[in-house]
Amino acid sequence: MAAARRTIPAGDPDAEHRRHVVSALVVDRPGTLNRVSGLLRARSFNIESLTVGTTHEPGRSRMTIAVRGDDGHLRQVLAQLERLIEVLDVTDLTSAPHLELELVLVELAVPASADEEQAVLDLLASAGGETVERDADVWRARLTASPEVIDRALDALRGHGLRSLVRAGAVAMAAHPHHDTTTNENGAPGA
Amino acid sequence: MTALTHPSAPQPQRQVAPRIGARAVCEALVREGVTTIFGYPGGTVLPIYDVLREFPLRHILVRHEQGGAHAADGFSRATGGVGVAIATSGPGAINLVTGLATAMMDSVPMVAITGNVPRALLGKDAFQETDIVGIALPVTKFATVVMDPDEVPFAVAEAFEIARSGRPGPVLLDFPKDVLQEETSVPYPEPYELRLPGLLRPVRGDVPEADELAEMIAAAERPLILSGHGVQIADATDLLRKVAERSEIPVAHTLLGIGNIDETHRLSAGYAGMHGWMHVNKMIQQCDLLIGIGCRYDDRITGKTSTFAPNAKIVHVDVDRSEIGKNVRTDLGIVADAGDLLAALLRRLPQSDPRTEWMDQLAAWREVSEARSWHGSGAWREGRLSADYVVDQIGEATNHEATLVSDVGQNQMWAARYFGFRKPFHHLSSGGLGTMGYSVPAAMGAALGAPERETWAIVGDGGFQMTMQELATLVQDQIPVRIAVLNNHRLGMIRQWQEIIYDENYHSAELLGPDLVRLCEAYGIPAWRATRPDEVAGVIAEARKAPGPALIDFHLDEAQNVYPMMLPGKGLSDMVEGASE
Ligand SMILES: Cc1ncc(C[n+]2csc(CCOP(=O)(O)OP(=O)(O)O)c2C)c(N)n1
Repeated sequence: MAAARRTIPAGDPDAEHRRHVVSALVVDRPGTLNRVSGLLRARSFNIESLTVGTTHEPGRSRMTIAVRGDDGHLRQVLAQLERLIEVLDVTDLTSAPHLELELVLVELAVPASADEEQAVLDLLASAGGETVERDADVWRARLTASPEVIDRALDALRGHGLRSLVRAGAVAMAAHPHHDTTTNENGAPGA
Repeated sequence: MTALTHPSAPQPQRQVAPRIGARAVCEALVREGVTTIFGYPGGTVLPIYDVLREFPLRHILVRHEQGGAHAADGFSRATGGVGVAIATSGPGAINLVTGLATAMMDSVPMVAITGNVPRALLGKDAFQETDIVGIALPVTKFATVVMDPDEVPFAVAEAFEIARSGRPGPVLLDFPKDVLQEETSVPYPEPYELRLPGLLRPVRGDVPEADELAEMIAAAERPLILSGHGVQIADATDLLRKVAERSEIPVAHTLLGIGNIDETHRLSAGYAGMHGWMHVNKMIQQCDLLIGIGCRYDDRITGKTSTFAPNAKIVHVDVDRSEIGKNVRTDLGIVADAGDLLAALLRRLPQSDPRTEWMDQLAAWREVSEARSWHGSGAWREGRLSADYVVDQIGEATNHEATLVSDVGQNQMWAARYFGFRKPFHHLSSGGLGTMGYSVPAAMGAALGAPERETWAIVGDGGFQMTMQELATLVQDQIPVRIAVLNNHRLGMIRQWQEIIYDENYHSAELLGPDLVRLCEAYGIPAWRATRPDEVAGVIAEARKAPGPALIDFHLDEAQNVYPMMLPGKGLSDMVEGASE
């Protein structure tokens, strides 16, 4: 029997850093967030975003962590995360089909013209968004889309009176393998 | 305030007569088989001290909480059990941290119990309040505050289970004082009531990957096993020897792997790494199959990883998946308990013929490397006392059967190289963290945990002065630890680095210390001094006769170095072999 050789390379710090989206199922107790973020910090990972919320199971929370790092290094860190008592499961969603969405709240100057207004509404719509409040001196709107689509929309909104914004950080979930990652209605590509 | 519900705590169904949290803690310790605890009282843990007499628990009053943590660690390492340390809130708890980190790095199971301010005061900077859980998180396997008396029995049982399961480690439980004072009727949980979803329990039983490893062994000409602490944690030293004998593979060991195989066994290769034996390091560089079992391939073993074991297929067996591939390229990674893997391997391996050529090569290299670095190598000066001779004599006098606890620095390397270990659990040292001051308090714990064995601490004059307050504990409890101070009046390892790497620019390496014999006199500890080789055997014999603690102050040649030595950034093929080079 010719045995399959699995060569696991040691983490190469010079390897290209790419963005990873990691989903972790954790025990909902004080200190869990501290432990997870502390481990990533100790290994010098810069956390791009980290969201936590409850799940359908009592006592369990789901974290979505977006970090940059080389694949081998990250794989090893995820194994370290997995061994934490508080962490029940860790999956790197990056290379598999997955849904990824982010919620953003923005404040915009009130459009000066009907054309301007249409341009803003089109931009919001391109990122799954709409206005939430239209005051006399300010508009507030929300966007819900993949981080890349959000980035593009926010860039464009800067030219249309973007005053401030609050990003919630990515939430992600594994998707069906046949999930079409390019034509999601919210523009949320899977990879 | 609302109590936080322990998420995995079972709903209490059975009830027992109500007792306060402090009693529930002690009861749980007794149920866990604890007999000895190392502690230091303070306001927030006084409820425990108030009831301690009611339980069959021997409390050793240490002189500093760091000593308590190291003693609990030494107790665990010598016995394979779980040591316990207790400290009060704030400064007491913080003093445990070095000991927790030491245990964490070396995968030593241990439970630390701290008091904290009452729940209503938490987070308000109350007197002696510290967020010890926050501080302890990165240096423990698990740490939590127990916020409800009803959670106490479960929390303690869970702490022990976490500490000793899978890859062991220290656990810290923090009890607000009022949790220790209020009553609970929740019983101590039965094993089936424990549900720990986050515990990585390696599946016991066969390890199918052993097929592949057996094939690799069959195909190898120059195989070598590099065995680490994991073999002893898995209590698998017998299996290791059997596998070695079945496959005729020599066995090297890491610092914490000392005792995995009797050093006089024909297949024992010896201690590897930065100050390991040249012949062992040469084998690592020349072997065509390197089988790491329960070791971390850490930098003290590998040096520069790009030149490590260049001719070998590298196999890594570890119970912790995150270790595999962390440091070195791995051709075959197997996540398994060392014992399970070795048993699986033994079932598959046919009896091998002796690997004569490979073993002859080892013997030839060994002859050269021992001649170069044994005493007489020129690493010490004529007529002066050399450390390797002292360690060798302690080994001989105790028939190599003592528990030997080394400190950190040159003394640690001399102890590892020259004692001549025969059995598992007899060598204790802070390998991962390199904590100076570890040895004396850890030896205290080891002597209490394994009283049937003679216990020696081997320590430099620097490390000794870091935790020598525990001399008083040794006297008060008449704990028979023999302390051999390898006194070079220097921070020896610092001096060595400054000599070799920093152009003899000695700074802060010279160390004034007290007259240790008179110091011991003040404590009521019998003590001797030796300055010449011909005095060594005599003082060792005297010290062994003492019924309680004893100390020998060995005045060494202050310029003696530990060779060979791997320089920082260099690899195993590139070692400094001795003073003459
Ligand atoms: C707590 C701590 N502080 C500093 C060090 C760095 N260090 C490593 S070895 C050493 C010198 C140890 O000197 P000594 O205890 O006299 O032992 P020797 O090397 O002379 O045997 C020092 C300072 C350490 N390992 N631990």
